[in-house]
Amino acid sequence: MNGLGFRTLFSKELRRFLRVPGQTLLSPLITTSLYFLVFGWSLGSRIREVDGVPYARFILPGLVMLGVVTNAYLNSASSLFVMKLQGTVVDVLVSPLSYAEILGAFVGAAVARGLLVGGIMWIVGAAFTGFGVAHPALAVLLLLVVAAGFASLGFLTATWAASFEQVNFLPTFVVTPLTFLGGVFYSASMAPPALRWLTQANPIYYLVEALRWSVLGRADAPPVVGFGVAVALAGAALLAAYAVLRSGWRLRG
Amino acid sequence: MSEPVVRLRGVSKRYGDFTALDAVDLDVAHGEILALLGPNGAGKTTLISIVAGLVRASAGEATVLGRDVVRDYRFTRRAVGLVPQEINFDPFFSVEETLRFQAGYFGVRLADDRLEEILVALDLVGKRHANTRSLSGGMKRRLLIGKALVHEPRVLFLDEPTAGVDVRLRQQLWAYVRLLRSRGTTIVLTTHYLEEAEELADRVAMIDRGRILLVEEKDRLLERQGGKTLRITLAAPLAVLPAGLAALGARLAEGGRAVEVDARPGGSFGPALAAAAEAGFPVGDVETRRASLEDVFVSILGGEAGGDRR
Repeated sequence: MNGLGFRTLFSKELRRFLRVPGQTLLSPLITTSLYFLVFGWSLGSRIREVDGVPYARFILPGLVMLGVVTNAYLNSASSLFVMKLQGTVVDVLVSPLSYAEILGAFVGAAVARGLLVGGIMWIVGAAFTGFGVAHPALAVLLLLVVAAGFASLGFLTATWAASFEQVNFLPTFVVTPLTFLGGVFYSASMAPPALRWLTQANPIYYLVEALRWSVLGRADAPPVVGFGVAVALAGAALLAAYAVLRSGWRLRG
Repeated sequence: MSEPVVRLRGVSKRYGDFTALDAVDLDVAHGEILALLGPNGAGKTTLISIVAGLVRASAGEATVLGRDVVRDYRFTRRAVGLVPQEINFDPFFSVEETLRFQAGYFGVRLADDRLEEILVALDLVGKRHANTRSLSGGMKRRLLIGKALVHEPRVLFLDEPTAGVDVRLRQQLWAYVRLLRSRGTTIVLTTHYLEEAEELADRVAMIDRGRILLVEEKDRLLERQGGKTLRITLAAPLAVLPAGLAALGARLAEGGRAVEVDARPGGSFGPALAAAAEAGFPVGDVETRRASLEDVFVSILGGEAGGDRR
């Protein structure tokens, strides 16, 4: 075990995103605050409550989930991709770090960024809607597992990608649409049948609902399904990232 | 040779139909500087990348200090330092941070005096806290060398280390490479500057199309392959070469203003000088020139040196 090597790479990855807080922490915070203001307050005045929960409070877990997912993904994806582009990935590949240590450091730092952004977003949102959390430990555990899954997906994408456009493919064309159609801003039970069917076929919906249950104590979908999706996603993505890293594909000649 | 520091046996690397390395056998001895010479695409970088763990061999076995570079990668990578050909830098960090991170990856806490020594040797003291983005090309290349040295490797691979580095700094780097060797570091150098290999190397390996053509001590190679040329500059041009010189294989050069004659390794210029004296022409200057490694390189590669085959 190269403990110092792992800690060094992990700390370097943390410091990388903390060096540019405007881009990595402030920017998602502003985006989410805008969602919160526009959807929460403007629609909130019309919708008022969903199943007895004020609308602004109803949408907060989904926004936090969106922030965690996007930031965990982007951190490992952009860091590894820039290292490939700059050639500094060589520094890691010639070192005695094992595959698990390399992946662990990248995923760990990305999870930290995801949870940091999610935490800041929750504090800002909760300041308006109340700080009560029904199952705080489960909420954190869920976000941690989800962040690890999306961080691993980011690592995989950066390994494959040959351009920034490809790095942005997943968040732009997959994660954002799935999140918007994943019940962040509405309850599936309120949706018309076609949208309800689309929502219930979307795995991110179950993640949002599981977090909603953890925070609000109620949800449309059984939380166990969301926890199951999170564990399955994280397990599969971590294993795939490990296998790809070990194979040397696109990293070692 | 005692137990080699680096040993390659039957190492091949294929990319689809292209064979980058073809059953290479090579031993690198403890404490030597081995220059790996060959045209672009010959397989030099592939070879050192396999030992450093950047590229996986398709066949064969590579060992460092007797340990397999794949099975015992933690051990062999701690023993190897690589200065890659392509300049890389992380624009988020300073020179000092970059060196400390690199040491950390190798499980080493970089001591302050060791950091200072590297910065001094590579003339980067004044840039210690500068962001790597602000460094000049030459400084970035020196930082690459520093990164390869932080864990005090037993064997250092320098892949074109002085490309784009000015003459003064090149001399400084050569002096540092000699210092490292004097401390027992084994060095494998690939370079396009044959004078660099001639200046530094103890042995030379020539590689072309993925095959090692020869491995020989540099001085013996120059002695064996490189003859000498005698050049007599004339005070007045000659129209016809005197018969005594023509019989020795001499030739007129510069429109009759000079006479040149080659001697094989170990040969003497005595007969040529005697024939020149006998011819009685007015002599302006006399000089001899030993064949350089470049001449040997070109003659061994059949005049194809420098051609890019990829």
